[in-house]
Amino acid sequence: MPVTMRRFGDLALAAALLLGLLGVGVAGTHLQRELAAAATALVPSRPPDLLGPITEAGRSGWQCVPEAQAAARSWRDAALPDPEH
Amino acid sequence: MRTPAIALVAAVSLFAFCTRASGQEYATPAPRTTDLRRLHALAIARAVHAYFTRGIADEQRGAWDDAARSFEAVLALHPPEPQNSTARYDLAIAYAGLRRYDDAASQLRAALRADPGFLAAWANLAAIDLRRGDLAEARDAARRLLALAPSSARGLYERGLIALQDGDLRAARTAFSTLAGSNPRYALAHYDLAVVLARSGDLAQAEREFRLALALAPRYARASLGLGVVLVREGRLADARAAFAAAAAESADDPVLHVLALSLERELEPPPAP
Repeated sequence: MPVTMRRFGDLALAAALLLGLLGVGVAGTHLQRELAAAATALVPSRPPDLLGPITEAGRSGWQCVPEAQAAARSWRDAALPDPEH
Repeated sequence: MRTPAIALVAAVSLFAFCTRASGQEYATPAPRTTDLRRLHALAIARAVHAYFTRGIADEQRGAWDDAARSFEAVLALHPPEPQNSTARYDLAIAYAGLRRYDDAASQLRAALRADPGFLAAWANLAAIDLRRGDLAEARDAARRLLALAPSSARGLYERGLIALQDGDLRAARTAFSTLAGSNPRYALAHYDLAVVLARSGDLAQAEREFRLALALAPRYARASLGLGVVLVREGRLADARAAFAAAAAESADDPVLHVLALSLERELEPPPAP
């Protein structure tokens, strides 16, 4: 069961936008300032949701889904973020 | 007279053979002892089972306060392994749901002291540390996860994000390149690699990786925005404007990104004809 978390990077993006808008206000419309803001906005993707809970039986055994997800080679099996969902 | 009696006996025998007695079923076996210490241990085991069951159900419906209380109750009973480390792991999830990230990290550390091979706990510790900004511990958690499971996609992804936040572009590039190599159809591996390359000034490779990400996830607005930035730096303003327009079109659910993309698109509008 994934645990929804707040999106990482939104703060950086907001700060970048604010800087960009301030730049526009001070120096007028200026592509370089906008681009500087956008370049700062090149933030990495968000951290993965946490792996889900485990029953009292513990992590050992093939039934433990979170433990298998932690070791999985495939991004889908690892329950990593999907940019379109 | 004898034939009906034989038939009746045969029918009853057949019924008894085909059916089984049904009775009350219990989640745990009923105690078969009168030893007080044994009875106490059985009572504890039943309570632990009940708290785990309730706590996991609470976590699945997002009732983090209730879940935390259940797993705190498990720990108050001092269960043996693996229940101790498992309850701490589950409690950390509940604390994270309550945004008590420091408490969550503390529980995961305790779980890992009891069970250092606990992969899911290392993975979650790295993810929580990323959120609470403890990059040193996050880096160590991702390293421990990858030492135990070298091909872990989650370990590589977390290591890359941590390195990017830490400004270690070389480590980030290695992590995301490895992830993209083992998962060539994972859009975010290409996107994050593109971010690293753009920050490193390798614009041609960054453009290639942004385009790969968009080929796999055409509606990923952040990748369109990143592509636009790289294209402007390369002097291809018309292409950049198209990329910003795509970012604006696909970011209705992200107002900050949407405004930024729109603003950049307008900046690149060609001047009106005289």
